[in-house]
Amino acid sequence: LAKSCPGQETVTLYLRGVALRGRRPRPAPPSTSPPPASTSHPIKQEDNLTETRLVSHSQITRLYSRFTSLDKGENGTLSREDFQRIPELAINPLGDRIINAFFPEGEDQVNFRGFMRILAHFRPIEDNEKKSVAVSEPLNSRTNKLLFAFRLYDLDRDDKISREELLQVLRMMVGVNISDDQLGSIADRTIQEADTNGDNSISFNEFIKVLEKVDVEQKMSIRFLH
Amino acid sequence: KCALLRCAPRSLPVPSSSSSSSELSAPLTGMLCVLVLVCVSVASASRDVGNNETRRDAAGEESPHLTNSTSREKVFPVLALNYDHVRKPFEIALWILLALLMKLGFHIIPRVSNVVPESCLLIGVGLLVGGIIRAIREEAPVLDTKLFFLYLLPPIILDAGYFLPIRAFTENMGTILVFAVVGTLWNAFFIGGMIYGVCQIEGAQLASVDLLSCMLFGTIVSAVDPVAVLAVFEEIHINELLYILVFGESLLNDAVTVVLYHLFEEFCHAGTVTVVDILLGVVCFFVVSLGGILVGAIYGLLGAFTSRFTSHTRVIEPLFVFLYSYMAYLSAEVFHLSGIMSLIACGVIMRPYVEANVSHKSYTTIKYFMKMWSSVSETLIFIFLGVSTVAGPHAWNWTFVVFTVVLCLVSRVLGVIGLTFIINKFRIVKLTKKDQFIMAYGGLRGAIAFSLGFLLTENETKSMFLTAIITVIFFTVFVQGMTIRPLVELLAVKRKKEGKESINEEIHTQFLDHLLTGIEDVCGHYGHHHWKDKLNRFNKTYVKKWLIAGDRSSEPQLISFYNKMEMKQAMMLAESGSAGRLPALMSTVSMQNIQLKQSARGRAIPSISKSREQEIRKILRGNLQNTRQRLRSYSRHDLFMDPFEDNVSEVRFRKQRVEMERRMSHYLTVPANRQEPPAVRKVCFEPEHRVYTYDDSESPRGPAARPRPGPPETVGLLKETLPRPNQSGECRTKAREEQEAQEEQDPLKLSRCLSDPGPNKEDDLSR
Repeated sequence: LAKSCPGQETVTLYLRGVALRGRRPRPAPPSTSPPPASTSHPIKQEDNLTETRLVSHSQITRLYSRFTSLDKGENGTLSREDFQRIPELAINPLGDRIINAFFPEGEDQVNFRGFMRILAHFRPIEDNEKKSVAVSEPLNSRTNKLLFAFRLYDLDRDDKISREELLQVLRMMVGVNISDDQLGSIADRTIQEADTNGDNSISFNEFIKVLEKVDVEQKMSIRFLH
Repeated sequence: KCALLRCAPRSLPVPSSSSSSSELSAPLTGMLCVLVLVCVSVASASRDVGNNETRRDAAGEESPHLTNSTSREKVFPVLALNYDHVRKPFEIALWILLALLMKLGFHIIPRVSNVVPESCLLIGVGLLVGGIIRAIREEAPVLDTKLFFLYLLPPIILDAGYFLPIRAFTENMGTILVFAVVGTLWNAFFIGGMIYGVCQIEGAQLASVDLLSCMLFGTIVSAVDPVAVLAVFEEIHINELLYILVFGESLLNDAVTVVLYHLFEEFCHAGTVTVVDILLGVVCFFVVSLGGILVGAIYGLLGAFTSRFTSHTRVIEPLFVFLYSYMAYLSAEVFHLSGIMSLIACGVIMRPYVEANVSHKSYTTIKYFMKMWSSVSETLIFIFLGVSTVAGPHAWNWTFVVFTVVLCLVSRVLGVIGLTFIINKFRIVKLTKKDQFIMAYGGLRGAIAFSLGFLLTENETKSMFLTAIITVIFFTVFVQGMTIRPLVELLAVKRKKEGKESINEEIHTQFLDHLLTGIEDVCGHYGHHHWKDKLNRFNKTYVKKWLIAGDRSSEPQLISFYNKMEMKQAMMLAESGSAGRLPALMSTVSMQNIQLKQSARGRAIPSISKSREQEIRKILRGNLQNTRQRLRSYSRHDLFMDPFEDNVSEVRFRKQRVEMERRMSHYLTVPANRQEPPAVRKVCFEPEHRVYTYDDSESPRGPAARPRPGPPETVGLLKETLPRPNQSGECRTKAREEQEAQEEQDPLKLSRCLSDPGPNKEDDLSR
């Protein structure tokens, strides 16, 4: 962790939600050590404890080894090419969007913290978390999971899934053999079903509402990250 | 609950009005029917005991009144009585009729069926009938094993397997398997062992029962019964997770039961058990379950493959489904594999491909016949259970029976709690205490236990075992079955969320599937989604090409789902008969949208050029005429209306066409050419993949019923017709041949929706 986030004076390691702060060892004199690669952004010291209780200790090691195995450039960050090297993602219809979700606005590199942050959305919800009254909702709450999915539809971040955005997603999922007209009618039907306020697009609340019968906590959780 | 009514499409009005008016006389007539039937069945029972077998062999001999064997006058018998000839089918039909009349009667009396589940009522009727038969000292038909396992059980299992909710089942597969295998094993050994301990108690006169017999007994009585679970759980509408857990367990424990039963039975004869035997037992378990699934899968694939070629003979399509499934069951039973798992596997594998291949009518037929048969079977099983209870030889032993019942309950509770504790460590969504309670309480025993007990070899303990089994069954079905509904309400267990299927859910669920698969790949984790995605891909690239006919083999799942939904909606629309009544049929979501979307309606009406409008009209007319020409031939193998109905419907249909033209003219400014094309018997107008079927039941609407710019639903449907002319309009700019090819394609697409094409059509077109 210390290696992956160079340039920080203190690295906050979260072990089961308890922050252990430690000082990073002083970097060696510049002539002998490799120049530290530029990071995406420094860790904000005032990060909220509950927000960043990402994964458990055992998972950190597993994810970190995965991170390093993906990181061919060995500079402590992942670029888009690193993700595209994963073979299954290439054939996934949503592959590009998923990759883009990892990278914050306008950035081209993601460090381990950002990597874990996205994956934390998919942690199973635990019972004690459900009961605890957190200052801010944990990343893997139902609403935040749905928000993550919503953002994958809504690329222009206007908090609405418009007809065109829906059409793009449908086209990606369905392939090239279906005509535009048919996809158009499906999209129209979808919006018509979900839209309650008549603005011809699906807002986040409407999105939550149509998925209320779907068991999102189970569907959007990966046991691996438990 | 009436199984048929449950499955009826929503457009069919439930005939509640008729039943309410006849409510007063219904119980009376019901009782009368029962009495009559009972008398006749009793009479038939007595008659076949009285008849000797030799009488039947005599060639066409009638009763002695009318024929004269002694005198030489040959009087021609005008009326003769020959009951032997039809005895067996007559009695079977009578029993089934009795069962169905009972079912009917229970639903006409609503108060009773709300409190007591149907299974209890049916057992009660069976007890009554059995008592009557016994009172007149005749032999009652018993629920013998062959009848049960070969004829009564398969329809129920097939129905359950064919309509199994696959998604929920596969997501909870681990939990279900643990409960089915480990849970049943625990139950069997615990009950068997403890009963043996009880038998050793002095003073219970049970010392003769040895350990192996007790274990056999434990096996028989430990299995949760799918029939009983279905009968009770269907009525309480519990949430899908609990339903699939208990029901899935009851289905999958068949393998365990079969293996253990045969194992212990062999040991009972052999006398001793060795370690090798136990190891062989474990191997046998895997062979039985996996072999059963394999047999079912083979038959399922065969059935799917066969259905690919049935486009010319639609009438016999449903039979293939039933026959292949039944063969799967019987083939598995031949090798002592698990017939139930084979049947489930066959139904599950066959279903997606068959549904893509068969016509809509065949699909409906399959659905209704399955529900019908399973309903009849269920009813008969419970009635026979009651009859057999009265008839069977009983040996009541207080200690044994009471301890059996208590031990069943205790072992079930302990098993569920223990297993849930272990399983919750691996589950994402944990099972709460309420869930555990319902699962423990829902472990009902039923007719399978009884039949297995009946299969036991005759010895002195068999009667005692049978009595205990029957007591357990009665206890679980009556006490637990009756109290589960108030308990569910008391504990506020989550109920099944009813709702129309929604395209949103389908799209978003698929979206989430892809998303999760991608995230799993990023993590490098080969989890549930990863394998499901691989299976889907394999299915799409290889299997579908082989098993699905025509161009539907490459149709994405989303598109077929959408088409199905649209077709259902179009048929509802057509059957309702008018746009004015439309809001009643639409989902509540769309309902809200109607009021709110007044302003949005402007967008729904596109402006199209005059040339395209003419194109629309031309294509409309062309299709209608084509259809008409095709339908003129009549053949016994086609499910068309008979010619008499044709004249009646012609007039009606002409009015409907006028109506349709009027609706279209709202959106088209080119006035319709008023030439009246000859009326067609039946129209199937399908732009792209939409179906707009005018059914015979549609009421004719006079000219006065001019719809205002209809609600968006109509707009939506009709708007979808318009894009096609856009497409064909573009074709106009291309070569002339292309346009003709386009029009040729429409009949092709028409043939999809014309469920039962006549032979001529297939000659015209080559698919």
